[in-house]
Amino acid sequence: MMTELAFFAICFVVLAFCLLIRLILGPSVADRAVAADSIDILADMALILFALYSGRSVFLDIAFITALLGFIGSTIVARYLEGRL
Amino acid sequence: MRIAIDILIGISVFFAFAGVVGMLRMPDSFCRMQSSTNISTLGVLGVIIGGILYAAFFLGDAGMAVKLAGMGLFYIITSPISGHAICKGAYKHGVRPEKEMVCDKYGEDMVEEE
Amino acid sequence: MKKSSFPAVLSTAILLYLFWLLITGQIVSIFRGDFSVQVLIAGVIVSLLVAVFSARFFIHEKAFYLWNPMRLINLLLYALIIFPIELVKANVDVAIRALKPSLPVNPGIVKVPVDVKSEYAQSMVANSITLTPGTITMDITEEDGQTNYYIHWIDVATQDPKEAGDAIKGTLEKWTRRIWE
Repeated sequence: MMTELAFFAICFVVLAFCLLIRLILGPSVADRAVAADSIDILADMALILFALYSGRSVFLDIAFITALLGFIGSTIVARYLEGRL
Repeated sequence: MRIAIDILIGISVFFAFAGVVGMLRMPDSFCRMQSSTNISTLGVLGVIIGGILYAAFFLGDAGMAVKLAGMGLFYIITSPISGHAICKGAYKHGVRPEKEMVCDKYGEDMVEEE
Repeated sequence: MKKSSFPAVLSTAILLYLFWLLITGQIVSIFRGDFSVQVLIAGVIVSLLVAVFSARFFIHEKAFYLWNPMRLINLLLYALIIFPIELVKANVDVAIRALKPSLPVNPGIVKVPVDVKSEYAQSMVANSITLTPGTITMDITEEDGQTNYYIHWIDVATQDPKEAGDAIKGTLEKWTRRIWE
């Protein structure tokens, strides 16, 4: 059991919380969309590391679905900004 | 092998940290998008490669390794698409940097067409 | 909307079936020998159904163009060696820019001509440019036979189209042309 994996996962979660500042503060909609996308990716990384740490592949499936939903969400926000929705 | 995995994931954490700092410090929206690509390329790939090595050599679980490789491929294919879409959408929506850009060929050509 | 041809449907179905095997975890079970026949057959049916409806969004030209040893070797070489080197270089550059106290950015949008013909090659060059940090492709336009990209660049070194093109996508475009033409 490698405890470093849990440590790195905590690092990713802390970085995601730092990015929350940009999500609250961001002056335009695009900033918020990009920040939300990046938070999604960082949370995915934490989930992957936790799946490796605990040895269960259920968390890996959850990370996959989160990545898919994040991609769809940011693309739909972009399409809305472009005015074609 | 343990040390190699640690170094790979550490590189990934470092680039994610650089991307987050860039996103908090950059002056305008488009530069922030550039920094977010930093997170979604090397910040992801280090974890994916380290995870494949860990799953294959320590857990002995080939299913997890293959699934991780598929996730990496998915990230590599989709992240440029959403980045491009958000960038173009923001420009069309009227987001402009506060400081003037050095040159803005896209805006000039859009004005000419109208 | 164009009508989808049979090879397009077939190639999309193969891709979807690989994804199905990945998600259900059967791709390892096949090698181990304890796969379940029901899951495999259900996958064939579902992927064919989805492919019939969605092939026209994916495949527009020759569907099995990449099914050729030379092109596959070139693609693997590009994806495993050439592109990662560029990626790491650009990543280190942008990370240093973000961490420096003086924040040396010089953003702008440049217009760059591109000399590849087929749709796949154009989208591959555009995605490679977007994937390297520091440059984002914003739009692709075509005026009298010449394809142009509008690229947001974090550090505009030169505004001349040819030199900017060489600086941004010199190696990428060379290798893409070797794969697709």
